[in-house]
Amino acid sequence: MDDEEIHRAVMTYLKKKGFKQTELAFQEEQRKDLSSVETDPDIARQIISFAESENGPAKYKEDYSKLRSWTYSSLDLYRHELLRVLYPVFVHCFMDLVAKGHGQEARNFFLAYREDHELLYLRDLQKLEGIILPSHLEEMEFARSLRQSKVNIKLCQYSYELLLQYLHKSESMKMLGIINEHINFEVSSGQSSSISDDAEAVTMIGSTQDAAKELNQKEIRWGLLEDSLEERLEKENMASEAEKVDGDGKDADMDDNKKKAEGGKSGVSLKKVKKDKLLGATGKNIRTETSTVSVAPRVKSELPLPVVPMEVEHSFLEDLRNRAQLGSSALPSVSFYTFINTHNSLNCASISRDGSLVAGGFSDSSVKVWDMSKIGQQSENGNVQGEIEAAQKGQVLGQENGKRSYTLLQGHSGPVYSTTFCPLGDFILSSSADSTIRLWSTKLNANLVCYKGHNYPIWDVQFSPVGHYFASSSHDRTARIWSMDRIQPLRIMAGHLSDVDCVQWHVNCNYIATGSSDKTVRLWDVQTGECVRIFLGHRGMILSIAMSPDGRYMASGDEDGMIMMWDLSSGKCVTPLTGHTSCVWTVAFSCEGSLLASGSADCTVKLWDVNANTKGPRAEEKVTNTNRLRFLKTLPTKSTPVYALQFSRRNLLFAAGALSKGLSSYNK
Amino acid sequence: MSIIPKENIEVIAQSVGINNLAPDVAVELAKDVEYRIREIMQEAIKCMRHSKRTVLTAEDVDSALSLRNVEPIYGFASGDPLRFKRAAGHKDLFYVDDKDVEFKDVIDAPLPKAPLDTAVVAHWLAIEGIQPAIPENATVDVIVAPSEHKKSEHKEDGLPVDIKLPVKHVLSRELQMYFDKITELIVGGSDSVLFKEALVSLATDSGLHPLVPYFTYFIADEVTRSLNEFQLLYALMRVVRSLLQNPHIHIEPYLHQLMPCVITCLVAKRLGHKFADNHWKLRDFTASLVALICRRFGHAYHNLQPRVTRTLLHAFLDPNKARTQHYGAIQGLAALGPSVVRLLILPNLEPFLQLLEKDVLGDQKNEMKRNEAWRVYGALLRASGQCLYDRLKHFPNVLSPSSHAAWKLTGRPVITTPPNKRKVGPDQSAEQPPLKKAATDGLLSPNSTTSFQTEPPQTQVGDTVTMPMSSADASHVGPSSSSTIRGQHDSVGPMRGVAGRGALNASKVLGQAWKDDMDAGRLLASLFELFGESMFSFIQPPERLFFL
Repeated sequence: MDDEEIHRAVMTYLKKKGFKQTELAFQEEQRKDLSSVETDPDIARQIISFAESENGPAKYKEDYSKLRSWTYSSLDLYRHELLRVLYPVFVHCFMDLVAKGHGQEARNFFLAYREDHELLYLRDLQKLEGIILPSHLEEMEFARSLRQSKVNIKLCQYSYELLLQYLHKSESMKMLGIINEHINFEVSSGQSSSISDDAEAVTMIGSTQDAAKELNQKEIRWGLLEDSLEERLEKENMASEAEKVDGDGKDADMDDNKKKAEGGKSGVSLKKVKKDKLLGATGKNIRTETSTVSVAPRVKSELPLPVVPMEVEHSFLEDLRNRAQLGSSALPSVSFYTFINTHNSLNCASISRDGSLVAGGFSDSSVKVWDMSKIGQQSENGNVQGEIEAAQKGQVLGQENGKRSYTLLQGHSGPVYSTTFCPLGDFILSSSADSTIRLWSTKLNANLVCYKGHNYPIWDVQFSPVGHYFASSSHDRTARIWSMDRIQPLRIMAGHLSDVDCVQWHVNCNYIATGSSDKTVRLWDVQTGECVRIFLGHRGMILSIAMSPDGRYMASGDEDGMIMMWDLSSGKCVTPLTGHTSCVWTVAFSCEGSLLASGSADCTVKLWDVNANTKGPRAEEKVTNTNRLRFLKTLPTKSTPVYALQFSRRNLLFAAGALSKGLSSYNK
Repeated sequence: MSIIPKENIEVIAQSVGINNLAPDVAVELAKDVEYRIREIMQEAIKCMRHSKRTVLTAEDVDSALSLRNVEPIYGFASGDPLRFKRAAGHKDLFYVDDKDVEFKDVIDAPLPKAPLDTAVVAHWLAIEGIQPAIPENATVDVIVAPSEHKKSEHKEDGLPVDIKLPVKHVLSRELQMYFDKITELIVGGSDSVLFKEALVSLATDSGLHPLVPYFTYFIADEVTRSLNEFQLLYALMRVVRSLLQNPHIHIEPYLHQLMPCVITCLVAKRLGHKFADNHWKLRDFTASLVALICRRFGHAYHNLQPRVTRTLLHAFLDPNKARTQHYGAIQGLAALGPSVVRLLILPNLEPFLQLLEKDVLGDQKNEMKRNEAWRVYGALLRASGQCLYDRLKHFPNVLSPSSHAAWKLTGRPVITTPPNKRKVGPDQSAEQPPLKKAATDGLLSPNSTTSFQTEPPQTQVGDTVTMPMSSADASHVGPSSSSTIRGQHDSVGPMRGVAGRGALNASKVLGQAWKDDMDAGRLLASLFELFGESMFSFIQPPERLFFL
């Protein structure tokens, strides 16, 4: 390091600070022993960099703009990889500036380069935008988690070298510092990866991505519940049609009996048996590929399951036998329930499994339940009639409430954000901003239980597929598992970095999935309460989740209108489904899993073909990338955003939404 | 620094009674206020999403405030979206319009109607994937738009689309030979007797259906390639006619390929390259062909005739199009029947004639152009005449006495004739002498030549249409010159006077010509104004007696 340079740096510093005496003294001394002292290069560098840091804020901007222009002018092949580096550097530059108290400069810097990242990170930027004071950094958990964590960026060998070369040559210490401090490079040899598979690069989460990856390695038993109705039906068919599988069927029966005996035992012993069973089940199912669901392996539930009454079970079986086969060429019939005169107060809607009951949660704290078998009698016919008849076996609604066409359920003291029917349709759960969940009986039209546990508004509540258990998600960043007979939660799932906006049960009741404002979807083990999967890729808050009936896939919709299809076992996105232009309020799989329906604020119901995925589950590893979901059809409604979708057991699709003419015109 | 100016903080401080807020405190506070506001908005947006809305309301902000354990802001709970007003003089400053309400008024006012109670109605959004056309569903227009969107989506995503492999089409050797022979005849010897035989064969043979796509393609190809080969085009059109006539051929699927060629042969600017080529004949023939197609397939394809008429009307109404195109369009429309003429041509007749006038009178040297203009004039005359004839035939008694009176009054002076080039009927030769008389009569009428210069006739009539005519008259021909053309126009002058008196405004009448109950007499009157005597040739003798 050149002495001259150091001297100059020191001089300018003194001059700037107005240390005239010292300056003179320094000059004096300098003249005395010009070449006497051998300066240590390390110290020299420090001094120089210190001099540089004097004009800190400007330096940040200058260095960043240099890095940016270098990146933009880099080789085409490697540019997209290098561009990924820019965003974390940008964010950390900004936060560094704020942390050092250069609020104004930070703001200017932010505004100057904001546009570059708006496309991918708009919502993050909106969050960060308001930060001006160092204290804000401390307060805002998003910023804090960014500060504390490192971002993983995949780079190919060459682009990594390019970057290092540039950083050293240009001596932009600030950038180097930030990159060292906040970015982890995963250097892979070979060619630069294609742009499409960098979904992970999109989200910056609190926990490091390594952790997420590790988490996603865990084993997950996504198979269906053994001894389910589907399986029973299938067995029935088998018995009636073929003799050669006879022995096999007996085996399975024996197996089942054994299981039932062990049902009461604790989880540990069960798990062992389960694995055996899993093998046995898959072995068996290879031979019985009569329907798509049967291919999925069977697992034992870890929860004690409620007993289903015989007659109800029979009606279910009847429904299963009469189920319409849906596919890309056989689209479902859709019955639409329109809420009118809601005055913008309808917050949520849900439809019972057979479509006979419709519940709406309102912002005036009320829950209203309509019995469609009474109202819709004239307008509906044929198919629905069948559904309704099936429904009426199970329930009789209480006496008609005077003039009102609906049953009014009052009890909450805040807007009701979610309602859900139990599978048999005799209970309703509602969750509200008053941080309680209430259980209502449709037979008595009365409130039975009030579950208290959450501390903040509860955004979502969902009954498990077998009833009895339910899950809730709240603004307090937790999801909780409850059972109907206890007023305390059984499990608390904590880990999301922001509100948990929606929750959904896995078909085998061993897992729940939660979607959050932190743009991740997580899968939790109900038994242990641990997070077993993190799904990264959404760019907005997640509003809806659905599980495929074979338990293998999950679909989640976000506020940008994007729907993502996930493979539970790999934790990877099978394919994003684009098409909606606004919030996807609801998604639903058809009963045999061949269709996905999605309902959105853009006043459409869209149907997607999922068959490509479910067909070859065993060859999955190879085909996942080539499998694409096909968009089948858009069904526009008349200015009615679609709030809820529900496939009946016979594969009739029910949809519900509130007519909002004023709102839509206001939007435009 | 922050988007909230420190003055705001000072104002707020004063409003809560702190008068001596230090300026640097205000600056620091402004920063924090901005952050807090952003925080509350973030929470409010969450509440909005969970209320399944896309518009932020005051309630959402209140919920967000209560989430943060802050007292909500009272007084903004309104179901309607807030009405923001722009502050005068500021580009991006808005405020909520909050009117003062007199307490007494509120108390005295009758109770507002109770809002309707919430209800649920059910309908079929789709039945097996198909949306029934019921009022509850979105209108068809809305459905069409997303389907286009869907197409583009397919392209973007490169999603697999079911592709049907092309089917191999087997043609027998005989058919191939037949096709070759016919095409050869069309191109080469369309004059020959053999070609006529071929046309008959095309119109009657039953086994030709496999060749239809090839013929269609051949015709389309040849028409686009050889627009200046008159013989070929004519031959092609005759082939089309034969194909259409053949009862064994199912030609509908190929209509969309044929129609453009046919329309081209009707309204193309130039057909054939020689002056001698009688492209008028071709146009006339094609017009009848178009009419034939519309008659035959109009029922099955509802938009066929509207589309054809729209194309033709476009050609007809565009003043920049060549006369030949106008001619084709008029002939085509006329062939589609008198009601089409009444509906589309008559309302536009007057302005069009006005345009035509220039060419008819204009440059005498350009014989070709004049000839063309006269052709167009003739076509128009025939079209409107037929229309009139049709009206009279259907409503023989509709000639109202009042208009008769008017006509009788002026019937004599206006007996004129169109130019000798037109064959308009037997009356023509007889009326040659009165022509001069008409001219002189014209002079006697208010529109005398002297007044032409100073006082254009349209001031009396209140109609601008006569303007170019009369000035043309005045400028280049003397009153005594008995030019046939002029005579015709002179006749218009006096007629105007009559029309004015009878409160009959020609353009108005024609504008109403589409009305079914339109008085045929008035129609005749206005047509007479425009075409003169020649219109009579379309009236049956008994009626004509009324006028003469």
